Amino acid sequence: MPSFVALPEVATVKRREFRSTLPALLFLALFFVVPVIALLLRSVLEPQPGLQNYVELLGSSTYLKVFFNTFMVSAVVTIVSLTIGFPVAWTLAIMPSRWAAIVFAILLLSMWTNLLARTYAWMVLLQRTGLINKMLMGMGLIDKPLALVNNLTGVTIGMTYIMLPFIILPLYGTIRKIDPAILQAAALCGANRWQALTRVLLPLTVPGMAAGALMVFVMSLGYFVTPALLGGTSNMMLAELIAQFVQSLVNWGMGGAAALVLLVVTLALYAVQLRIVGNESEGGR
Amino acid sequence: MTTPFLKIEGIRKEYGPVVAVQDVNLEVERGEFLTFLGPSGSGKSTTLYILAGFDNPTRGDIKLNGKTLLATPSQKRNIGMVFQRYTLFPHLSVGDNIAFPLKVRRLPKHQIDAKVKEMLRLVRLEGFEDRKPAQMSGGQQQRVALARALAYDPPVLLMDEPLSALDKKLREEIQHEIRRIHQQTEVTILYVTHDQEEALRLSDRIAVFSKGVIDQIGTGPELYANPATRFVAQFIGDSDFLPCQMLHSANGRATVSVGGAVFSDVPLHETGKSEGAALMLRPERLSLTREPLQQRLAATVSDITFLGNNVHVATSTLSGDPLSVRLPFGHPAISGLSRGDSVWLGFEAASAHVFN
Repeated sequence: MPSFVALPEVATVKRREFRSTLPALLFLALFFVVPVIALLLRSVLEPQPGLQNYVELLGSSTYLKVFFNTFMVSAVVTIVSLTIGFPVAWTLAIMPSRWAAIVFAILLLSMWTNLLARTYAWMVLLQRTGLINKMLMGMGLIDKPLALVNNLTGVTIGMTYIMLPFIILPLYGTIRKIDPAILQAAALCGANRWQALTRVLLPLTVPGMAAGALMVFVMSLGYFVTPALLGGTSNMMLAELIAQFVQSLVNWGMGGAAALVLLVVTLALYAVQLRIVGNESEGGR
Repeated sequence: MTTPFLKIEGIRKEYGPVVAVQDVNLEVERGEFLTFLGPSGSGKSTTLYILAGFDNPTRGDIKLNGKTLLATPSQKRNIGMVFQRYTLFPHLSVGDNIAFPLKVRRLPKHQIDAKVKEMLRLVRLEGFEDRKPAQMSGGQQQRVALARALAYDPPVLLMDEPLSALDKKLREEIQHEIRRIHQQTEVTILYVTHDQEEALRLSDRIAVFSKGVIDQIGTGPELYANPATRFVAQFIGDSDFLPCQMLHSANGRATVSVGGAVFSDVPLHETGKSEGAALMLRPERLSLTREPLQQRLAATVSDITFLGNNVHVATSTLSGDPLSVRLPFGHPAISGLSRGDSVWLGFEAASAHVFN
């Protein structure tokens, strides 16, 4: 079919698109990349040039424990969020859309509520004389209050709550894209509910789960507010450690080194995610 | 009396105030290819979905070999189905898709492998075993879907407009394949379509659906030669209806008067509807002359269309009703015929029908 409107060449379009993203790129370069590089430079220059900050960070059991805590909590938060988030996303996807809209409103409302307010609310719920402990004791399930706050348990509970929407939303999108006729076909093929779930539904939601899980894991690695408020002083996470280096100890070198380790891990995981998403769009329908 | 293989007894399905299926009764023989033909919203797909177990009827029963199916959930009905949309499992290869129903039945591996091979041969897709559905054309995907649905030797195969997403040429090719596979496997097929040509090409019998009931069941030639209702007459083959006056009727034959001419001994169908009597004529059963003759309908040519081996002459009767004639190309009666000419149209009484 002849086209009478001259269409711009692909290269021109790309150049134009690039031009329109230029302000954003400049902004990022000026206010993000430059300070990050400055911080990283300080990690190899202070107190004197060399890698001693990294040696200290990765050689000390205290700091390694912080790394361990960080990865541990992030992993548990990711797994628990997936376990809770999947049924929620599934229910939302098959629910009448009017009802689903209400649940979404609640989800978004909680996301838009101030993070500090939400975290303090969890402190109230989880403390020794808090609602949860009182209820459990009232039911006679426990004799003395559980230590649910000022430790990693509290951090995990609080962060799972905060991360849930980041699992539910992409999973919901993935599940909605699955044609219900595919599940009907599975049923007629003789698959019972469990087989339909494990052999058809779960494999088809893997891209959504992977996207959500990586998002949650990466966000958890650098999370500060919730660990700072719900966590204890003895079991720190990485963001708290960086804050402590910079704010209390005014040790920019160690802070920068810890920040670089976090950045490297995050970028590596992002690369993994890109690979998965890339494969999905290649093989997907 | 022997029990019919598959029996649908008085199925009714209501969705709130909407009646999707009014009252469907049907008996299907083993090995038969039966098509549900009808426009969208006529209840044909709903009936099929009830057979598949995705929906329960408000009333009525379905019996396979004399035993009710309604208490059995979809996954235990052992029924095969090919859907309108592509429903292959996108994460599984072609071979694994066909093996899926066998794996969930926990068959031994060598049996599964043999069956997958057999099915691939049946749908002529040997060598495609390791492809993913996304790497195949729509026609190939539907053939794999057919193989998957037949892999567990279902007593009944349901097909819900499986070719509607394909283009005409491919559709005809796969219709051929379906016909061959039906003959080869002798599986009982219930096929839903709104395409009369497809229904005629494939089926042993056709059930014509209209407004939630089956208007008529019969072979293609039966429906064409002897339509029970105006709807069937319109849906199978081409037809025109002329309002007529009933002069006399006896033993299923009528004498009617149209535009001054009287026709006797025309097959009569009492429909019980008060639409007034109408004479149904098929364009290919009409003859055309340029001179006035007795027992003929006078008409004026309004258009002439060349359709390859046929010529379609659109006319208008004296009362203004459209009436079409189809004649073979080169027929002497139409040489030099042009718009506005007067013609006289005749037919054999037995080829026409009166609906009253």
